Amino acid sequence: MIHTLRPVMNKKNSFNLSRRSFLKITGGAAALAGLNLPKSAGASTDRQLSTLIDLSLCDGCEDRQVPACVAACKTINKDKIPPVVDNIPEPWPRKTIEDWSKKKEVFNRLTPYNFIYIQKAQIDGKTIFVPRRCMHCNNPACATICPFSANHKEKNGAVVIEQNQCFGGAKCKDVCPWEIPQRQSGVGIYLHVLPGFMGNGVMYKCDLCNERLKDGKPPGCIEVCPRKAMLIGPRREIEKAADERARAMNGFIYGKTQNGGTSTLYISPVSFEQINKTMRKKPGQPDMNPDVKRRMASTDPLGKAVLAAPALGVIAAGALNWFSRRKEQLKKEEEHND
Amino acid sequence: MIEKILAHRNLVVRHSRLELMEHWAIAISGLVLLLTGIFELPVAKRYYIITLPGLGWSADFITSLYLHYAAAFIFSAAAIFHLVYHGLQGEKGLLPQKGDAAASITVIKSFIGIGKEPPMHKYLPEQRLAYAGMAFIILMLILSGLVKTYKNIYAPDLSPTMLLWATWIHNIGFVLFFLSFLAHMAAIALRPNWPMVRGIFTGKVRLDYARHRHSLWLSQIEQEHNIPAAVSDETTPFAKTDPAEVGQSIPLPETQQPESVDTRAIESTEQDGDKPPQTVD
Repeated sequence: MIHTLRPVMNKKNSFNLSRRSFLKITGGAAALAGLNLPKSAGASTDRQLSTLIDLSLCDGCEDRQVPACVAACKTINKDKIPPVVDNIPEPWPRKTIEDWSKKKEVFNRLTPYNFIYIQKAQIDGKTIFVPRRCMHCNNPACATICPFSANHKEKNGAVVIEQNQCFGGAKCKDVCPWEIPQRQSGVGIYLHVLPGFMGNGVMYKCDLCNERLKDGKPPGCIEVCPRKAMLIGPRREIEKAADERARAMNGFIYGKTQNGGTSTLYISPVSFEQINKTMRKKPGQPDMNPDVKRRMASTDPLGKAVLAAPALGVIAAGALNWFSRRKEQLKKEEEHND
Repeated sequence: MIEKILAHRNLVVRHSRLELMEHWAIAISGLVLLLTGIFELPVAKRYYIITLPGLGWSADFITSLYLHYAAAFIFSAAAIFHLVYHGLQGEKGLLPQKGDAAASITVIKSFIGIGKEPPMHKYLPEQRLAYAGMAFIILMLILSGLVKTYKNIYAPDLSPTMLLWATWIHNIGFVLFFLSFLAHMAAIALRPNWPMVRGIFTGKVRLDYARHRHSLWLSQIEQEHNIPAAVSDETTPFAKTDPAEVGQSIPLPETQQPESVDTRAIESTEQDGDKPPQTVD
């Protein structure tokens, strides 16, 4: 049995889901969680979406050469990266070049050509399969801190890198607690500016199939998952579903509070502390540290003071002007009295 | 009016303490903003800036952002205060006037020995033009910076169009601000402008310099204080508490030669900074 959420058509963003099933939940999962999801719910690309990844359902597609979600993602994005130039300019003075164009088939880690992969965690003789991709954070530092605003968050929650605006400085990767974005050198706008001195390619990562969302289609990975381990829908519905499933399996949620909250909620019968212990952070292979804080939050109070600064300037100027005029007036009156 | 002639000390008050505070608040916070703005670009690791002593933090974008915000708070408050306060006070000396462009060319030509400088007000014509340009750049930086700050805190999903406008105005403003800073430094490096440098540190410039170069300003002060122009400093023994800068080429009248220094007079006039203008001893 498949439950569907039918989001409402939004003219501007053509997010027509009235004809499409958007949130899919297996009967087994629903039974497991005791869920009674609504048959329809409003959503649009202007409404925040969330995804749910149920680790109790994902089996890593062990019977396939490439997991279904990974294969679908690769197929959808196969022509995304334009041809890489023959002689990739050597950056100066640090000569780091990242070229994955000859290793496009790699699928056991994140690369510019691979936006999702399945991580395995061995716990008490059991294997937990963890699909890893961009978490699409609520307040993503990778987007807000991009010096060229090449990376931005859509109203629907998808965090999208515009490859035509990205210089590949990898700042987004540095500020991402999971170091998700991956660089391909030899492509992008930097080639036309100062390739030796500024920029080094383009950063790539999962964009939640934002173009497909606009066309009313779910992300490829979610659409093809044979176990229906992944769902997408309006944020509240997904959060509710995640809470109910976690409660029903006496399990755990990851992504709700991490890095200030994300649009991706993992549910697991095993704690994420345990899962994280089995993971060693490597390039393109993030860990699952449950204590990920949003570092930029520490700058928010000062940022709020900045927003108030012009008003403070106006108030101070007005007050001082008043005092100064008053002083002059009193002086004149004094002189007049004398 | 803060401007006044301290003839016995061969000085004229050019800037109030408030103006000095405004200038230095904007200047220092502006430099911090420039530096931390550069560090918001991914350059510190690439160019090994992190290996320089004391700059190990430069590749940490969150630390740079923290410092950027701190400086932006001072910068925005001081710049807006400056505009509003002096606007309310009706001070227009730094605003461009008709003919400033042509007059600037005449002044610049005089730097290389072509022609003579015209008599000038408190500020040079090119200073007024530079001020307007700098004010515009600063306002653009503040406005675009506020949009970016708002986005960082409250609206990470701000409209991409607005975000791109804010980002590129901020980035272009950054380049223009940096170029303006270099031009400002270049102006200071020009020898005829050296006597003005002390003004922005102490608030006072040498009276003989002002009389030589800013005669219109001096006349204005004298008029406002009802000072007979001829006696304001020409007849005053030159109490040399503020020696002329090395290399200063402005000739002093014979009556102002340092030999006539009377140290007792210096002591007795040390506290005169806040008294009404004194023209003769």
